[in-house]
Amino acid sequence: MLLILLSTDKLFLRLVSLFYPVLAKTGVDTVQLDEILRVKLLMDNRRPKTLFAAKRNSQNKNAQSPWMISFLQILMGFFIGLVLTLNQMPYVGQTYYFIIFMVLMALTLISDFTTVLVDTRDQFILLPRPINDRTVAVSRILHISIYVLRLALLQGLPALVIVGFVDGILAVPIFFIQLLEATFLSIFLVNIVYLLLMRSVSPQKFKDVISYFQIGFSVLIFASYYLLPRLINVSVLGNINLLSHWWAYTLPPVWIAAMNEALIHTSRANYITILLATLGFTVPILGLWLVAKVLAPGFNRRLSVIATSDGNSNTTGQVKKAGKFNLIEKMSNVVASDPVENAGFRITWKLAARTREFKMKVYPAFAYVPIYFLYFALNGKGDSLSDRWEKLQHGHTYVFLIYLCTFILSSMLMHISMSEKYKSAWVYYALPIGEPGKILSGMYKAIICLYFLPYCLVLSIGIIAIWGPAAINDIILAFLISLIYGILMALFMVKGLPFSNPVVAKQGGGKMVTSLLILGFIGAIGFGHYMLMRWEMAVWLAIIPALLLNWIMFRSYKRRSWDDVELSDI
Amino acid sequence: MNEHPLIQIQNLTKSYGDKLVLKGLSLDIYPGQVIGYIGPNGAGKSTTVKILTGLIPDFEGEVIVDGIRMADDPLAIKRLIGYVPENAEIYDVLTPMEYLDFIGKLYGMEEGLLHQRAGKLLSAFGLGTNGDDRMDTFSKGMKQKVLLISGIIHNPKIIILDEPLSGLDANAVIMIKELIMRLSQEGKTIFYCSHMMDVVEKVSDRILLINKGEIIADGTFESLKQNHSDTLERIFSKLTGREDSSTETDAIINAFD
Repeated sequence: MLLILLSTDKLFLRLVSLFYPVLAKTGVDTVQLDEILRVKLLMDNRRPKTLFAAKRNSQNKNAQSPWMISFLQILMGFFIGLVLTLNQMPYVGQTYYFIIFMVLMALTLISDFTTVLVDTRDQFILLPRPINDRTVAVSRILHISIYVLRLALLQGLPALVIVGFVDGILAVPIFFIQLLEATFLSIFLVNIVYLLLMRSVSPQKFKDVISYFQIGFSVLIFASYYLLPRLINVSVLGNINLLSHWWAYTLPPVWIAAMNEALIHTSRANYITILLATLGFTVPILGLWLVAKVLAPGFNRRLSVIATSDGNSNTTGQVKKAGKFNLIEKMSNVVASDPVENAGFRITWKLAARTREFKMKVYPAFAYVPIYFLYFALNGKGDSLSDRWEKLQHGHTYVFLIYLCTFILSSMLMHISMSEKYKSAWVYYALPIGEPGKILSGMYKAIICLYFLPYCLVLSIGIIAIWGPAAINDIILAFLISLIYGILMALFMVKGLPFSNPVVAKQGGGKMVTSLLILGFIGAIGFGHYMLMRWEMAVWLAIIPALLLNWIMFRSYKRRSWDDVELSDI
Repeated sequence: MNEHPLIQIQNLTKSYGDKLVLKGLSLDIYPGQVIGYIGPNGAGKSTTVKILTGLIPDFEGEVIVDGIRMADDPLAIKRLIGYVPENAEIYDVLTPMEYLDFIGKLYGMEEGLLHQRAGKLLSAFGLGTNGDDRMDTFSKGMKQKVLLISGIIHNPKIIILDEPLSGLDANAVIMIKELIMRLSQEGKTIFYCSHMMDVVEKVSDRILLINKGEIIADGTFESLKQNHSDTLERIFSKLTGREDSSTETDAIINAFD
């Protein structure tokens, strides 16, 4: 199977080589070009993909094989392809299909390909060699195109078959061209987004912005998976005719879908459709030409700025933060007064707030909580959306929302001890630290203060706004119980000091059981809380033992010794 | 020694924003010389190297290598140079053989010769059995060796080494030092940047000391010794304004009081 994929690379290379005579005339060294493309594609195959990052951490490396990824892409393509069967009119179905296809394509391009585009190593490996600028620029464009076309074809393959069934065999070759056009258009649009970003933010910020894109992407997929089926009745979707609105004609996917209408269903097509189809055919090609001719040169120049800006020039930005810094220092002194604990607090605070990989893993969890909540809240069947909302407001489900936040807590605790730069943690082992528990407790407090508490506060304001101030006692109790859950998790599941372990596969079955036991325990308490909610006073009273329990457990957490801490090889 | 300088740098100036990094640098380097290029951090050392290797295309002044102006034909100059960068950037998902194949072909080498030479060089550097292992499992020293090989694989006239000994063990260091001398006997011109004064002292026949964007000392180790001090380390600290390091250490010691 791997061979098939590798041979698609060869196929693409051969396809590209058809253009070599033309390229050679414009001053490209085709031998070098071929070599660069070959190596870049080879490296792509050996590189793990961000899109399936959730699967990356799983047990074996084989799950990351190119073949597995191709399979997943085809599967995804199949599900999107099902959209084509929704509507009686292929025009509408195809419009929906190309909207999804193009959005997905653009997002994949941004999230998965930026690392390749901004490969700083090129600066040192390619630039000192005798290669002219045009060759480098063309190799970059072709590299993107090959990567994207492969993705497009894999994702489009199932749809190609489905179209054959839905719309007859003649539609298949046209659909193939449509896929290509949609891909070109996505490349064009992404290029414009990149250029705008590069023009408006500094090179350092650029990478951050891209990683927020990636976070947004994973949240979007998650949300659409859970919520779309709840919010929209699929059969209703089939009947909505997007095309009855005039503004729909400004959407590029409509132009591309119009090609099918204009060529296959000629009897139905009016002059507007034909006009749109012409647009759909010419605009992507024009866009591609624009990218290659006008945008790419500036693009490459900007990219090399990003690549070379390895902290060489920016000394100005760091001075002005002093004021904010003070506030954090004061806060840390109040919350964690012991020097060692204080150190643990501050290091976790700063690293968690600044480490991109940690944020990438944890930030999506912030969005998952409300999505989960809506998913469960809207789970009722039969009622209309407004009925369900009505019910929600009169119920006591809001406690559930706070308890769901434990999801964030556990997500943070799972990742806080891991880092790609775990070797810097040698300091913990080299310095005379008697009680690592103090660092751990500082770490725990930092997580709570930096992320969990602010998040809960925001949620609480929302809850009070919807359900009224009677919810306050419940919020406090649920928050305290969440903290207990957090400490339990930290006690049994997190064995490492902050950012001190390599990023590894998920832990074995034994830990799984512990984790489930903790979850069950908290679930039981939470259920007890739910029962108790009838008596306002009882909830207030329950806060006292919860506080006490927190205090006792935290004390024992603080006393953790080196025996309880998992050491990693430095 | 040849009459015509191989590398001519005239009035080279480079600034980042309003910060002047190189202030009108001028120097001639003759074929077969081993240049030891030293200077404190931020003196403009790596900027010079990056301009010489064509990594930084915009600068003021004149860089002429083997009669070719950098501004006219940077590619022709790049063909003459082998460069080993200091920050060990390498495509480490590739194997050494794949990487060297890639680099060699970018220089336009013919495959048969390239593979033969890559194989020979790998075994000469003690990596003969690792030729087909991916480099992401390699130690820093092993990667450094591959980088060194990739810098000399096309048999360049000029070899620019930026801190080439980092991560190498003692035996490899001895080997590289000998290699530098042998290469210079073969007529190669070597531009050697390092902070390791004892190595620079031994391998170079001409030492250039740069400070704050200007060359403040230029000559053989012997001539520098006569004018200044007895070891390169002392000469270095004297010329770069750290004449009295005892006041610094005093300050450090006093900080504990």
